[in-house]
Amino acid sequence: MDRPTRPPTVAIAILALVLGAVAAGCSVTARPAGSAAASAAIAPSLAATAPASTPSTPSTAALAGGPPRAELAAEGGDPTEGQLGTFVWGDGGSDSPWLRGSRVAVGSGEPLSVTFRPDVPVATWSARYVPATASDPAGARPLGGGTGHPRFAAPAAGTWTVELHVAFASGLGKASYFWQLAID
Amino acid sequence: MIPSERIRWLAALAVAASLGLSVAAPAAAHGPDPVLGGGRFSQNEVLAFRWRSGAEPPSAIKTAIRNAAADVGESKASQAATFAYSSTGANPIGYGTGTCGVNGIGCFTRSAPDSFTMWLREHGRVYDWGTLRWCQMLTTLTNGCYDAETIALDEFGHVEVLDHHDNYADDSDYTDAVVQTFSRTRPKTGWNMHGFGPCDTATLQVQYDIPLASSPVSSCLDLATVLTLGASSTLLGDGGVVTFTSTLRTITSTAYGRLSTQWLAKRTVRLQQRPAGATTWSTIATMTSGSPTGSYTASVALHTTADYRAVFSTPTTEGLRGDTSPTVGVDVMPCTYICPLSVEG
Repeated sequence: MDRPTRPPTVAIAILALVLGAVAAGCSVTARPAGSAAASAAIAPSLAATAPASTPSTPSTAALAGGPPRAELAAEGGDPTEGQLGTFVWGDGGSDSPWLRGSRVAVGSGEPLSVTFRPDVPVATWSARYVPATASDPAGARPLGGGTGHPRFAAPAAGTWTVELHVAFASGLGKASYFWQLAID
Repeated sequence: MIPSERIRWLAALAVAASLGLSVAAPAAAHGPDPVLGGGRFSQNEVLAFRWRSGAEPPSAIKTAIRNAAADVGESKASQAATFAYSSTGANPIGYGTGTCGVNGIGCFTRSAPDSFTMWLREHGRVYDWGTLRWCQMLTTLTNGCYDAETIALDEFGHVEVLDHHDNYADDSDYTDAVVQTFSRTRPKTGWNMHGFGPCDTATLQVQYDIPLASSPVSSCLDLATVLTLGASSTLLGDGGVVTFTSTLRTITSTAYGRLSTQWLAKRTVRLQQRPAGATTWSTIATMTSGSPTGSYTASVALHTTADYRAVFSTPTTEGLRGDTSPTVGVDVMPCTYICPLSVEG
């Protein structure tokens, strides 16, 4: 059965990732704070925009199966794996509905961070949220956006679905992840 | 669409291409669909698909997929590949369990320029998010079902080269593209789109070219043009006839892909005149599109010395930016010795 992945292209992308990391003048600017209306341009240096702790490049085998798992955690809290929604990866992709997300209980305004397993470098990310009862992103409000590992603050009290959209570095792919935040 | 956003997208595309990277960064909102890595199929290539052995879709889904393939041909507005069913087709399309990830309802692989695969999940599958219902499988249409033709068209778009469209935050531009991150269910606007949207075709045109020089350029683009003007004579006697020739094309830009230096035929190009000493221009003719491709001519009997220019106004129905040619002066001599013949300068 064909999976929406194709290792040879991923391997090429990883090579591009490595080359890109050392090449000056090559990177992706952030999509600002969850605003789909904001523009993104490919301009300055990947090295300049990468987080201080740039993850090492995962192995080809680790990336061949599709996008990495995404884990969201509050400071000191246990990580919760997000539901993987629509993605493109390698030479394939999968289309999913808007998901309700994996349930997480956090406090209002609490800083949240997302890590990836394996730790694939992120080009840009944006996060937005809607009431957990919503079946699509209509009326979504931005939570944040930028480069590097996603970090944003939990919204106000309520039960929300958060979508994190990530474009991984060097064209490895893009993916949406979902959590349902129960906020006191 | 905001033109500057589209241009930033095109500029980003060019820079990425020059760096040899896949263009996977977020595009400017409401710009042309981003492109997937992995290359393209040949222009106008016919990609034959078959039903995957052991995973054939039910009849209603087969019809929907065939219809989606026809939708590609009818709406691609470009020289992108087409899709056609053949029992011996090289590219399998399957239906059922076992692929598309945990939550996917449809998925694809592409290996341009050679092959592709597609898969739709089975009607009635229960996910964490709910139960998948294909509208085509329902005896009585109810809300919340997915249109299999639309989803298959989305997947065909991916196979061509299209990544998901980047919508405005409020999704008000949803129907500008069928290749969406989150497809809609009945009866939400766009749930049953049976043709590519302008931001899908914009990318298909950049990647695969427009069908003909006279074909409309997608309104999701905003391409700069260059208009020239020449005259068969710049000195003639009163009543002499001058043939003005203009050419119209897009500018040369790597960001424009296959639409770079694209000759543009059968557009409206007007010839304007400004008599010597006057400050205002007036249209004296609509130039005729002819051969060679992208050229326009108008022959006019002149009675006064004047400046001339050609004008291509920004069209409201396609993604081209208007341009005005440089000015050409034509002197008309009093009718004494040589009328009405032209005088070669």
